[in-house]
Amino acid sequence: MTDRVSLDTHLQEVRRGTVVLGCLQILQTPGYGYKLLEELAQRGFTTDANTLYPLLRRLEKQGYLTSEWNTDEARPRKFYRTSDAGTSLATTLTAEWRSLSTAIASLTASEN
Amino acid sequence: MTTTLTHRYIAASTKNLGAASESDVRAELEGSIADAIDARVEQGIERTDAERAVLTELGDPAILAAGYADRPLHLIGPRHYLTWLRLLGILLATVPPITFIGAALVESLSNDSIGEIIAAGITAGLSAAMHVAFWVTVVFAVLERLGAATRGHWNVDRLPDYPRSNVDRASSIASLSGLTLLAVAVCWDSFIGFARLDAEPIAILNPDLWPWAISGLFTLIAARAVLSVRILTVGPWTTRMAIVNTTLAILFISLIATLLGRGELINPELVLAAIDAGASRDIVRVLALVAGLATVGFASWSIAIGWRGTVNSTNR
Repeated sequence: MTDRVSLDTHLQEVRRGTVVLGCLQILQTPGYGYKLLEELAQRGFTTDANTLYPLLRRLEKQGYLTSEWNTDEARPRKFYRTSDAGTSLATTLTAEWRSLSTAIASLTASEN
Repeated sequence: MTTTLTHRYIAASTKNLGAASESDVRAELEGSIADAIDARVEQGIERTDAERAVLTELGDPAILAAGYADRPLHLIGPRHYLTWLRLLGILLATVPPITFIGAALVESLSNDSIGEIIAAGITAGLSAAMHVAFWVTVVFAVLERLGAATRGHWNVDRLPDYPRSNVDRASSIASLSGLTLLAVAVCWDSFIGFARLDAEPIAILNPDLWPWAISGLFTLIAARAVLSVRILTVGPWTTRMAIVNTTLAILFISLIATLLGRGELINPELVLAAIDAGASRDIVRVLALVAGLATVGFASWSIAIGWRGTVNSTNR
């Protein structure tokens, strides 16, 4: 029971930052909340709706996303798009992730 | 067709957001929930079941609301928790026992049975403990919500210089205990009465001091308490804090001295009764002298620890 809980916590810790990176990359083409949620899940960044929706607003407030209401369809939707600042954040995060992944690879390589 | 469950959910997760963002969040959340329900309906799920499932998956609206408002989901976070715990521990270990002894002493003047004396002490001690726990927690919960500005960036220079900053800490804690006791004593005197007149309790302080002079006194006590809490949570004395502290102490002296000079500090009923009972008229002068000396002593001590703390922290 405790093992199960602590395993979940560790996995969550590893995944935490990746959702932001996923959002920034996917929203290079504008998208709205639910569609983004599905797309993230499809691409392996499973996240909860109640984490994602506030996160989008926070990223917008920090200037990494811009938003626009689209009322062309029957259901008005708020479309988010990655800003220039967001693109450069995504580049930085990706570089960081690559260097981490190299570091992890070197750990397992030295083990064998 | 959205039904009442969705509306109730949205209302619960968007309240307290502020008018500007509320309608925007509401419209967006409405769309997102409707999208999620539609996706499930397309998979052949009954609409009402789909709605229930979608809202269940979104979870407690209070969590979502906190996410939107960027609000902490805890009363006191790791930043203040240890300080809160230590301060509460020290105050709870000192204030209630002292209140217990004080209340029992007062009660023992009235020829009550030992049982009544102990009961009065326990009641007063318990209520002092409740007040201490409640108000200390309120202050820290407010600090938590005022946010990051209170502590600033940590660097090695802020490492406590072992014996010295313990002095700061100890004198802050002593000040807080003293202020709490003073506040409790003033309230106790006003509502219950320290002195006894024909076995009836009577206040030592003039009841006419309510509300203005007493409010002034409590404002000074609260301001001084804020300084002490700042020393405990943020760091050492600064010149500006010592100046504020000195101003507070001087205001305290002038408040008490003015009241003493006008003969308004002590309950006139009590003075008359003492003179009737055969005390010499000097009793007023003696009481005034004792109160005046205590005030000046208390204030000078406060001024001194402020400047000593400032000298210590700038000499590093």
